[in-house]
Amino acid sequence: MLDIDEIPNPNRMRRMGKEKGKAGITTDMNSMVDMAFLLLTFFMLSTTMYRPRGMELVMPVPDDAETRTQEVQAVKASQALTFIAMPENKLYYYRGLPTPAGIQSVSYDKTGLRQLLQEFVNETEKPVVLLKPHPDCAFENLVILIDEMNINRIARYAIDKVSEEELALLRAAGIPVPTQ
Amino acid sequence: MVDMAFLLVTFFLLATTFKTGEVVGVQMPRSVAGLNLPMTDLLTISVDKKGQAYLSMTSPQARRAWLQKHAQVNQINYTEEEYKTFELIPGFGVPMSQLRTLLQTPAEERKRFKQNGIPIKGDKNELADWVILARVTIPRLRIAIKADANTPFRQVEDVINTLTDINVLRFTLITQPKKLEDNAGY
Repeated sequence: MLDIDEIPNPNRMRRMGKEKGKAGITTDMNSMVDMAFLLLTFFMLSTTMYRPRGMELVMPVPDDAETRTQEVQAVKASQALTFIAMPENKLYYYRGLPTPAGIQSVSYDKTGLRQLLQEFVNETEKPVVLLKPHPDCAFENLVILIDEMNINRIARYAIDKVSEEELALLRAAGIPVPTQ
Repeated sequence: MVDMAFLLVTFFLLATTFKTGEVVGVQMPRSVAGLNLPMTDLLTISVDKKGQAYLSMTSPQARRAWLQKHAQVNQINYTEEEYKTFELIPGFGVPMSQLRTLLQTPAEERKRFKQNGIPIKGDKNELADWVILARVTIPRLRIAIKADANTPFRQVEDVINTLTDINVLRFTLITQPKKLEDNAGY
């Protein structure tokens, strides 16, 4: 890399060096440039430009049976929409109080869920949504539901357990319910 | 051109925060909503597909203070080396009885140490104990749950119930970013 010409020899071709004519030391900087690019590449690859997101959840004060039933009753059935997330990415919902005929299924994508929610928000004055993930459903399902709450700006929603009554209704509607 | 290269290197040198290793690989679900995570003083509860829970704390100083509190409450005397190790590891998922062993294992073997998660079930709810210790040690601590997209909800429910039982009512779910136009998940 370093080339030291002790005696400048006029017969040889002179190389382009940093210090021309000073005792004939020529340094080849190509290696340093390579190092610089290596370092650059290393740091480019090790930066984390991608920051994961966080969705804030605020849970209600835990199960005081009395406060729970009081709060639920304060909501008019007509303003409530309940989602039941079942395993295998199946989503069911009903408006108001649970009835056998009321349970319907909807898909998770834009045409299904989001459209449903937008209609619900447009129709209802103070929409309230209950999210009931079945214990065997994937966590992703709940995240999608909460995400849709935020996207459609539904301020009042709660996460709750699927009740026995609802499970019975699902079975009655012919929907497979895993035995727990 | 070389100057440009050095400028860039310097920029990246100063701008990178090295990503600390993860205690367990988790493929998070994606969401549109959500703010960027606060980077300071965050206690992350990672739940993998099998429902095993792991804890990680952001800064090394916080980890040391946390372990000191743990030592104080449980009357254990950790050595300075064990403290140093605890500061270095990104997280852990072992019952308290195995923690000492984990800290005493040298780094290479530690990677192969079978960490089966922190017990949550029943009366041996160590997750609750750790979270309480963390909240007592670090003011303004935030708690986040980082669960795999395919974790059965039941496991996450256990973690959430653990938190609500100890009066932690505000926490964050960590997700990957997603654009609004993208279809939901699948």
